[in-house]
Amino acid sequence: MAKKPAGPQMFIANRLDDGRAVFLTANGEWTKVAADAAVGQTDEEVEALAVLAHGAEDANLVVSVTAIAADTEGNNLAPAHMKFAMQAKGPSVRLDLGYQVSPNWEQ
Amino acid sequence: MALVNLTGIQPTQYTELASDTSPAEGEVVLVPFDRLAEESEAFFQTVGRVGVLVGTETTFSALEPFANKISFVAIDFPAFGDGRGFSLAVRLRKDYGFKGEIRAVGNIIPDQAQFLMRAGFDSVEATEERKTAFETALKRFPSYYQTDAIGLGQRSVAHVRHSAKNDDNTDAADTAKEGQRKAS
Amino acid sequence: MYAYDTYDHAIVNARVEEFRDQVERRMKGELTEEEFRPLRLMNGLYLQLHAYMLRVAIPYGTLSSNQMRRLAHIARRYDKGYAHFTTRQNVQYNWPKLSETPDILQELADVEMHAIQTSGNCIRNTTTDQFAGAAADEVLDPRPYAELIRQWSTFHPEFSFLPRKFKIAITGADEDRAAVKWHDIGLVVKQSDTGEIGFEVLAGGGMGRTPVIGKVIRDFLPVSDLLSYLEAMLRVYNEQGRRDNKYKARIKILVDAMGADEYARQVEAEWAKIKDQPLDVPEEEVARIKAFFTPPPLPVLDNDVPTVNAFADKNFLFKAWVSNNTGAHKVPGHVHVTISLKPHGGIPGDATDAQMDLVADLADKYSLSEVRVSHEQNLILPHVAKKDLPALWEALDAAGLGSANAGLLTDIIACPGLDYCSLANARSIPLAQKLTERFDDVKRLMDIGPLKIKISGCINSCGHHHAGHIGILGVDRKGEENYQLLLGGSGAEDASKAAILGPGFDEGGIIDAIEKVVAVYLGEREDGEEFLPAYRRLGADVFKEAVYGAR
Repeated sequence: MAKKPAGPQMFIANRLDDGRAVFLTANGEWTKVAADAAVGQTDEEVEALAVLAHGAEDANLVVSVTAIAADTEGNNLAPAHMKFAMQAKGPSVRLDLGYQVSPNWEQ
Repeated sequence: MALVNLTGIQPTQYTELASDTSPAEGEVVLVPFDRLAEESEAFFQTVGRVGVLVGTETTFSALEPFANKISFVAIDFPAFGDGRGFSLAVRLRKDYGFKGEIRAVGNIIPDQAQFLMRAGFDSVEATEERKTAFETALKRFPSYYQTDAIGLGQRSVAHVRHSAKNDDNTDAADTAKEGQRKAS
Repeated sequence: MYAYDTYDHAIVNARVEEFRDQVERRMKGELTEEEFRPLRLMNGLYLQLHAYMLRVAIPYGTLSSNQMRRLAHIARRYDKGYAHFTTRQNVQYNWPKLSETPDILQELADVEMHAIQTSGNCIRNTTTDQFAGAAADEVLDPRPYAELIRQWSTFHPEFSFLPRKFKIAITGADEDRAAVKWHDIGLVVKQSDTGEIGFEVLAGGGMGRTPVIGKVIRDFLPVSDLLSYLEAMLRVYNEQGRRDNKYKARIKILVDAMGADEYARQVEAEWAKIKDQPLDVPEEEVARIKAFFTPPPLPVLDNDVPTVNAFADKNFLFKAWVSNNTGAHKVPGHVHVTISLKPHGGIPGDATDAQMDLVADLADKYSLSEVRVSHEQNLILPHVAKKDLPALWEALDAAGLGSANAGLLTDIIACPGLDYCSLANARSIPLAQKLTERFDDVKRLMDIGPLKIKISGCINSCGHHHAGHIGILGVDRKGEENYQLLLGGSGAEDASKAAILGPGFDEGGIIDAIEKVVAVYLGEREDGEEFLPAYRRLGADVFKEAVYGAR
C-alpha cells in the first residue's frame, strides 16, 4: 500500500463482486459518492476509519483498500489526487460511463 | 498438517531434526541443507535414511553431490510464486534421475497441485482444510500439452494424438504408466 | 485457421470450471485476495480503477467471424457495449463483474477462445505478423509455430511461476511487423539453403523502465527442435532470473547481466541434455497443425480493376484508403485490408459491439470469414479481392471504420492510461484524441508519410513509446500530468530505442512540440525520405532546437 498521505484522508476501495470504486462512510458502509465519504482529520480518526475499512476487506466485501488525501477545499469533498478523482467520476474519455453520469449509474 | 499424495507413492515418515540434536541410530530424519553440507559424513554413518530440506534458492549443482546419499527431498517454498522450486524438482528427476520422494512444503496453494505433480513432486504438506482442494485441483485437467521429462510417463496431447493411430500398444502402456512412478 | 479437437476443448473447458471454482472460493472467503490475485491474473482478470478488466487472448491475432461475433456479444451482454484491442493482440473488457467472468470464459471456450495466461508471471499470448499467410513479402507463415508454442506454453508444469511475465513473438517476413526484437524471445522463421525450416532466435528484448533490444543467440534452430530449445531458454531464466526486485526480473536484465554469449552458452548446454527427450512434438503433429494454415483457395484475378480506379478518381478518401490501408497479397488481384480503429478524435483500439458485428459480417462477405488483430490496435481483413474494395469501404465508412490513416501519424498506439488503468500516471487517450484532431487532414498526413506515434501512460510501456518514431511517456509530476517526448524509436526490423528529447510538457505543450518536430522533418527531408531515416540522418539537435529554442 502507498505511504500514508498527510492531511485529511478518506478511504477508497473496490467492491469484491463488481470491482466498482467505492468510498468508506462514517458508519462503515461503502458509497459510490465520494462527497459522502468519511474524512479523518487526525491520526486517531484515520486509524478508526482504517479499522472499519480493513474490517470490510477481511469480510470479503471490498479489496484494494487505500487511504488517500481528501480535497476538502471545494464545495464537494473529493479525492485530492487525479487518479482517485478519476475513480470517483469515471473515464474522462467516456462521459457516458461511471458516476459522472449520476451517482445512481447502473441502478 | 496433512499430506497430499500426488503420485501414489508411499510417503516417508521422518523426524525433522532440531538444530541442536543428533539423530538416533537408525532414525529417518529430515536435515536442513546447510547442516547436511557441513556434517554430512556424520549423518550418513549413524542414521537410517536422510532427507534434505532445501529452499528454492538452492541450486541443483549444490544439491547434486548429495543426491546419491539422500533418500528424499523437501523443497520449501517461501512464496508460491517462487517457481525455482519447480525447476529444482525437474532437474532432480531429469538430470540426476532421483527416484526418492520429493515433497513440497511451505507456501503452496491447492491450484498448483497439477503443476507440482508434473514437475516431479510426489507430495505436498498442506493444512487439513485444504487437502480436498488440492485433490480436486490435481484431477482437474484430463490431459496436458507437455510431455514430462521426469519419468512420470505422461505424454503430451501432441504425442497422444498421433500414437493412437500408429501404435495402439504404446498408448495403452502409457496410460497404464500414467501417475505411477516406481519409487524404488 | 486452427480448429480445436476434443483434447483442446477438454483442456479449455476444464480451465473454465477451475476458474468458476476459484471465483466461488474467493466469494466465500476461502481464498484471500492475496491468494486469488495470481489465479485471476492467470485468467486475464485485473482489477483496474473503476472495475475488473478481462483480457482475452486472440492467439497470434487470428479470429474467425464467429469468434468476432462472440466478442461483440460479450461486450453487449456482460460489458458496456465496447471492447479495446491491445498492443499484444489481445482484447480487453473494462467492466465485467467477477461473478460473471466464469460465464464469459465459457462463452469464449464455446468458440475456441480463452483468457489463459494473458497476465501473470507466465508465458503470455504468442504474437505475430497480422498479415501472416496473406502478405506478398512473407517468406513463411509463422502461425503454425505460434500455435505449437501456444499449446506448449499452456499450463507448463515448470514455467507457470516465472520471475516475471514472458512474451514471445514470431514473424515469417523480412519486414518485421510483430516487433520481435522487443520481446523476451523473438523468433524469425527462416528456410536454410537446403530447404530446411527453422528459426533465428533472439532473447532478452523488452520495454518497461529498462528498454532493451533483443540479441540473436542462435542463427538457425531447426523447427523440429523448437520446443526443447524454448524449454532450455526458459529453464535458465526460471532458475537465474532475479526474484528480489520485480523491475529487474525480466529476462532482459538476466541476459544483460550475464551477457548474451553466456546466456546462449548455458541454453545450448541445457538443450544438449534435453534435445533428445520427447519434448518436441512428432513430425505428424507439425503437419497436422500446418494443415490448418494452408493457403486459402483464392482465384488469381487481375491486379488492375477499372471500376475500382474509376471510383477512386471520384472519391479522394477512398483513394487514400486504398493507398494507405491495403497491402499486397500473395494472390494477384487481392489485398489485405487494415480497418483503422483510429478515427480522428476517437479512442485508439476501441470498437463497439455493432462495429465488431459489422466487421464479422464483412469478413464473411469479403475475406473468407477471417479477421486479424494487429499490435497496432487495428483490425485486418486478410483476403479481400480488389474488386470488392469500393463496397467494403463504403460499408466500413458508414460505421466510422473507414479512416484512411493506417501507418500514418494519426494511426497512434495508445495504452488505456489513467482513464482506466490502476498503474498509469497520466492519461494517454485524450492526448491521442487531440493529436488526431490537430492533424485531421488526410492530404497533410499523406504528405508527412509513415510516422508512428506511440503513447504510454506510465513507464511500463504498454503503449510502446520506446519503439515510437515519436514516443510519448506520461508521468505524474507533483500531481499533474506531464508528457515526455522521445524520438527515433523503431519496432521494426531496424529496431531502435527512442531517446528523450528534453524536458516534458503539459498536454497542450506536447501537441505543439510534435507539430514543431513534424515541421523540422518536412523542412529538412530529402526526396522521398521518411521521418525515421530523416531523424537518423539529422540527429536530435535540430529537433531539440526547434522544440526548446536555442539554449
